[in-house]
Amino acid sequence: MSGRALILAGSARARGRSTSESLAGYLGERLTGHGMATTLVRVPRLRRPASLAAFLEELDGAELFVLAAPLYVDALPHLVTRALERIAAHRAGTGRAAGAMLAIVNCGFPEAAHTRVALAICRAFAVRADLEWRGGLGLGGGELIGGRRLEELGWLTRNVTRALELTAAALAAGEPVPPAAVELMARPLVHPRVFTAVADVSWVQRAVRHGALLQLGARPYEPDAAER
Amino acid sequence: MISGPAIPSFLRAPVPRALVLNGGLVAGPELDAAQVLLLRALGERGYAVSTLVLRELTIAPCRGCFECWVRTPGRCGTRDGAADVARAFIGSDLVAFLTPVTFGGYSSELKKALDRIIGLLSPFFTRVQGEVHHRKRYARYPALVAIGLLPEPCAGEEEIFHALARRNAINMHAPACASRVLYGAAADATAAAAVAAALEEVAVQPVGAA
Repeated sequence: MSGRALILAGSARARGRSTSESLAGYLGERLTGHGMATTLVRVPRLRRPASLAAFLEELDGAELFVLAAPLYVDALPHLVTRALERIAAHRAGTGRAAGAMLAIVNCGFPEAAHTRVALAICRAFAVRADLEWRGGLGLGGGELIGGRRLEELGWLTRNVTRALELTAAALAAGEPVPPAAVELMARPLVHPRVFTAVADVSWVQRAVRHGALLQLGARPYEPDAAER
Repeated sequence: MISGPAIPSFLRAPVPRALVLNGGLVAGPELDAAQVLLLRALGERGYAVSTLVLRELTIAPCRGCFECWVRTPGRCGTRDGAADVARAFIGSDLVAFLTPVTFGGYSSELKKALDRIIGLLSPFFTRVQGEVHHRKRYARYPALVAIGLLPEPCAGEEEIFHALARRNAINMHAPACASRVLYGAAADATAAAAVAAALEEVAVQPVGAA
């Protein structure tokens, strides 16, 4: 498939700080390599009405819509949900030419299984927005990437990069995401016990940096026992 | 009528508290009717009910900075209406989500609030049902009831909605969880029965019921 791909990076974090942007950027470069013109938009930009209008116009002319988003509370983040609501409303019943859609959801838990509900939401959105569902990729342990370029992470992201390369090739050929890509993306970046140990140490280190170590277990909204 | 000495406050059973989070994008008869049903059912069960209409609160989107875990633990650094949601949430025995079903999930208004209260959990990990989840920060968490509205039945989106409610219950350490989807105007007897069934599923009985 030649043509245009519109990629939405669904994190609210600053530019270059989110795993979603890392994944979106890597896939975008691979799609470009397969002859597609790609545009990457960060979701906070869509809060501006003019930017949203331009995005919707570009989506109408795109052959492929890619959403790369983090998992917030078991589902897509607010900003992404709001963007999808706007897109679906824009496309409802207008008979616009149907494009295709891929979703990539990464989460801060080591198991990719946490992303299943969010990917199902993406698929339901595709139906409502008259987009052909090409598939979804779920990634666990996304915080280990943390906005860095995948190429710089070598061994750690070898399965992620391979999954995105397989996906780009399939999408460029007008095909659905291959099962091998889904399986590779879902492989833990590191063993879950290693992940949780590293992450727990990281929380302590970050609290120390902020002078908040002794408050880590604070309960600022503890209800008054008499109230409950 | 038999009268007697007043019961000292420390001997009185505490009144259970419920919080309704209304995630409607705009005011409309469907969600209003569902909210009336929910408030009535909770009232019949002896709850003191608070309602937050989320679109009326100023709540900024979560920035994904984790400062609520590592800088101001338990409290988001952005000071706005999300603090009221967090305080009311953890101070309740039951929290009911009321939302249009949005691609199977919650509306962006409800999601905006939920994204901002992750500080109610600890950043540290534990295993729940064989999966990694965040540990509790508080000793007690409310039961969850999710009531979704659809214009008409849609099996696929309803399945997602119920799955999302179950996942939320695990992650938010809810002692019980129930979810129902209502259709159309949502004010008929079927809808009322569905709301009542959801409350009974989380072991909330009408006052005086055996």
